[in-house]
Formats: sequence, C-alpha cells, structure tokens
Amino acid sequence: MGVNPIVLLGALIYFGILFWIGWSSRKASLDASDFYVAGRKVGPFVNGSALAATYFSPASFLGLPAFIFIIGYPFWWALVGIIGGMPIATLLTAAPLRKYAPTSFTDYYADRYETKWMRLAAGIPTIIGGFAYVILSIVGTALFMLAILKINFTFSVILSAVVVFAYIYYGGMVATTFSTAFQGITMTVAAVIAAAFVIGNYGGLNGLTDAILSNNPNFFNTPYANAVPSHKLMSMWSGVIGFFFTWHFGFSALPYTVVRFFTTQDIKAARRSVFWAVIVGGAMYAGLVIIGSGARVIIETMHPLMNTEGITNAMGLLKHMKTLYGVAGASVTDYSMIAAIEAFQRPFLLAILAAGGLAIAMATAAGWTMVLNVLLGRDLIGKVFGSKWPEEKPILVTRIMTVIIIVVCTLLSFKPPALVLDISGAAFIVILCSCGPPLVLGIWWERSTKMAAFINIIVMTFLSCFSWMYANTVHGSAHLFFLNKNWVTPHQFYWVFVGFAFFIVLSLITKPCSDETIQKYSLDLRPRH
Amino acid sequence: MFKGMPKIFFIGMAIMYGWCIGFMILEMLIPGLPLMKLFGVPACYIYNWIVGLWIINIVVSFLYFSMEEKREAAVAEKQG
Repeated sequence: MGVNPIVLLGALIYFGILFWIGWSSRKASLDASDFYVAGRKVGPFVNGSALAATYFSPASFLGLPAFIFIIGYPFWWALVGIIGGMPIATLLTAAPLRKYAPTSFTDYYADRYETKWMRLAAGIPTIIGGFAYVILSIVGTALFMLAILKINFTFSVILSAVVVFAYIYYGGMVATTFSTAFQGITMTVAAVIAAAFVIGNYGGLNGLTDAILSNNPNFFNTPYANAVPSHKLMSMWSGVIGFFFTWHFGFSALPYTVVRFFTTQDIKAARRSVFWAVIVGGAMYAGLVIIGSGARVIIETMHPLMNTEGITNAMGLLKHMKTLYGVAGASVTDYSMIAAIEAFQRPFLLAILAAGGLAIAMATAAGWTMVLNVLLGRDLIGKVFGSKWPEEKPILVTRIMTVIIIVVCTLLSFKPPALVLDISGAAFIVILCSCGPPLVLGIWWERSTKMAAFINIIVMTFLSCFSWMYANTVHGSAHLFFLNKNWVTPHQFYWVFVGFAFFIVLSLITKPCSDETIQKYSLDLRPRH
Repeated sequence: MFKGMPKIFFIGMAIMYGWCIGFMILEMLIPGLPLMKLFGVPACYIYNWIVGLWIINIVVSFLYFSMEEKREAAVAEKQG
C-alpha cells in the first residue's frame, strides 16, 4: 500500500485552509490579551466548535473507536458519559468563570485561595496532565501522517511535531480559536461521513449489527445479564460506571476547556457555546461509535492485507502495521480506526478521515500547549517567582515555552507509554481529583478553604498517579483496582469522588478565607436572583 | 453548598443521569436488551446511540442556556 495522491491532496487542502486562517488572523495576535484569550471577542458558534475540537483529542478520534473495537458495546456508555458531562459545565463553571474573566487557569486558584503559591500547586497536576496530552496529540498526528504518507513512525513523529509547533508558534489564541473552530467542523464531518459509509456498506443498522454479531457474538453482551461478558473489563458494573465517569467531568474542570470559556464575548455566549459544542461533539461521537463497532468485521472481511503474509485476524493486521512502520509502544490498536477505513479502499474517504484526524490532534495539541506555556511563563516565572520578563515580552516568553514543551513531548512521543485513550484517562483523573474540587466548590461553597485546596491538590495528585502506575505496572492494567486486581476500576476513577469528599472534610476543619474573598470570588460569581 | 444555582441545573442533571443510570441498570437486569427491536432497529441504537449520546444532551444544554436567559431577563425587568 503506497501513498495515494487523493489522500495526499486532501491533507494538502486541509493544511492550505489552516494556513489561510492563520495568515488572515495573524495581525489579531499582536497584544497579550489577543494572544492569551483572543481579546474576549469570540461568538458562541465559533467558540462552541473550537471547544469541541479542543476538548476532543486523538484519544477520542483514535482511542474511543479502538476501545469499542477491544471491549465491545458496553464501552458505548463511556462516550455517552463524555458528551453527558458537557452540558453540566454550562452553569457549573462556564458562566461563573466567564463572569470572573481571568487570563489564566491558575488565576482563580490564586485569587480564591489568597496566595500566589496556589498557582504552583495547581500547576503540578496540570503540567503532568498537559504534557501527557501534548504527547498523545503528537502520537495521534503521527499516526495520521503515517496513514497519509506511509512513512516510518519515527519520521512521522518528527514531522508532526514540526507541524504542531509551527501552528501554535505563529497562532496564539486568536488564530487557534478560529482555525480550531474550522477543525471542529472538519473532524465532525469526517466522522459522520465515515460512519454513514459504514452503515451504508451493510445496508443499514440491522445489517451492520448482524455483521458485527457474525464476527463477534459477544459484542453486545452486558455485565450480569449475559453469562459471558463482552470483555473481562466489562464483567462487573464498576467497569461500565468507571469508564462512564473517567472523562465525565472533564469539560467542566479541565484547564484546556475552561480557558475557552474566557475567550467568549460574554456570559450568554459562554453558555450558548456549550450548546454548540454538544451538537458538534455529539455528532462526531455518534460517528465514532459506528466506526469502532464495525472496525473488527470491516478489517477482517475487507482489508487488502488480510490473508496475506500470515495475517488471519484484525489484531494480526495491526501488529503487521506496527512492524512495517515501526510504530512504538502500546499504540498498535490505536490504528484500528484508520485500518477500518483503509479497508474500504476509497481514497476520498481516507482523505476526509485523515483531515479530520489531523484537525482533532492539532487542535488539542494547540489548546494544551497554550495552557502550559501560559502556566510556565506568565503564571510561574512571572506571578509566582516575580520575574518581569513575561509581562514585558509576553509573546516571546510564550513562544520559548512552546519550543520547550514541544521538544520534550516529541522526545517522549517516539515510544508512547500507553494507548492514547489510556494516557488521556490518566491525565483526566489526576487533574479532576486534585484541581477539580477547589475549582468547583470554590465557586459554589463559601466554606472552601486555602489549606483544603493545597492539601487536596498535593495528596490527590500523588495518590492518583501512584495507584494508576501501580495498577498498570503490577497488575498489567490501569483499569484494575490497585489494591485488588479482581476489581475493575477503570483509571482508578473513584479518586474523583474521593477528592471531593476529602476536600469537604478538610475545609470543615480548617480556617475559611476572608469574607471579602468569599464575596468576590464565590458569591459574586453566582447568578443574580 | 450550591446556593444560588438555578433550579434548571438540577432538573437537567436528573434527566441526564436518570436516563443513563436507568438504562445501565435495565441492561444488567434484562438479558439481550441492547438487541431487542425498537422502531425496527436494535434498541441500543435508540436509547444509547441517538437519545443518550446526543438528543438528551442537546435538550439539556438548550434548557440550560435558554432558561437562564429567560430568568435573567425576568430579574432585570424586576429590578427595573
């Protein structure tokens, strides 16, 4: 399978449009406000589409279909949980944080908890999660580059890093907001067209279901109701619930989406942008469900490499691709979605999918890199350690940080530590259980205290990282409970709920913040009655 | 805790969680529920793929912004 000119042309058109948007908006990124928060002038539809493109990453586009491919129907609930978590953000964090109108994610922690050191505390899990996300975005971009150019994975990673770097370096928040909005539409159109093609190929949903069942009779089995589960991770209720909640609260509390609420024109636009993000993201996820469900049967019955070179099943084919292109680490099944579309042997379809995949990967890399370079430059070097440099040369500092972030993440992308969806799940849990409670309860509970916020962030960051790595290393899966491998607890998701309970208990026994702070950063941010 | 949160927030949460948790429980109690026919297709495409994944969340997010805009307009009118 060589380079197809139509697939290559599709990618070039995509990059052409992206370059045009970046060039058109280059003059809009000249001051710090424009660079960080797009001058707070983005409308609801553009912001909603950009929100969807930023929030959904290669973990969605490659990882979710791969997990449906591996686990079966019960994993559909994980996608329902992700989209179901989006509307919650409308009133929980989007409107109050837009009312507060900060520049950076850590501004709220420093103001609400009355110390600049909260920036450093909140920055620790954010840096861990952020670097993980930039890595998975570079890996995702590299897998799509590989699908387009049929080059070795190592070269593909380098090429992807250069593309992502150039995109962010010249962009800032204005360019990345408008180009990300375009990317939101691109990825949704790609997923919906690919899914329609899959359904059409089998003559409708009934035909597709029959084909899936003929290939894997256990695919639609559910815990307890069927003697044999669809997968061992779905043998108990905690598997379904755990995957549902792993990403569920991310839209409300993760820095790379929260900062997009800062860019809207006003509170009304912030709330409406969530509505548009649900429409765009929900349509894309509906497409991903179909592609992931049909991937195994499509690969095994239609892929041109099946029954060649000793390949007898879908996993065998993916392992063959891994060897052929030198794909490192655990990311072999991440290629299942691309392999399924390759199986149709329609270059036009693969071109659309590749454009959508590049769009989602680059948008997330840009969103997270912006969060990290503002955090490392403006927040830590400037606000915490007192240097005037980020204030005097904000764009230069941000760009230097971008260089450092991309170089470090590229080096770690050559051998990804896990499947892209597993990297994403770990990042979500670390940030949600540590930074989530002080953010959400800081707005909605006057009793939230500085000491509780500080201890919660440090303790939960350690516990969630340790338990995830322990389960992954000792039990061989991050989805098994770290103290008992017979229990299924995807990504140690329970820490999110433990984190909230821990934060409440700590707040009740420690000294509250001043009345003035509570009034300004808690009560005044709530809706007027 | 959550003092001042508009009532529509809790109504929307009840709709979304009620639907999802309710069907998860039904799936664990009724063997073969996902493949039972509903409107001519396997039921999971209706209650999970279309309604649970998309329609309910569009409705809830629409309710959240539209009801809040109405409530804010009423508050502004009341305060002159």
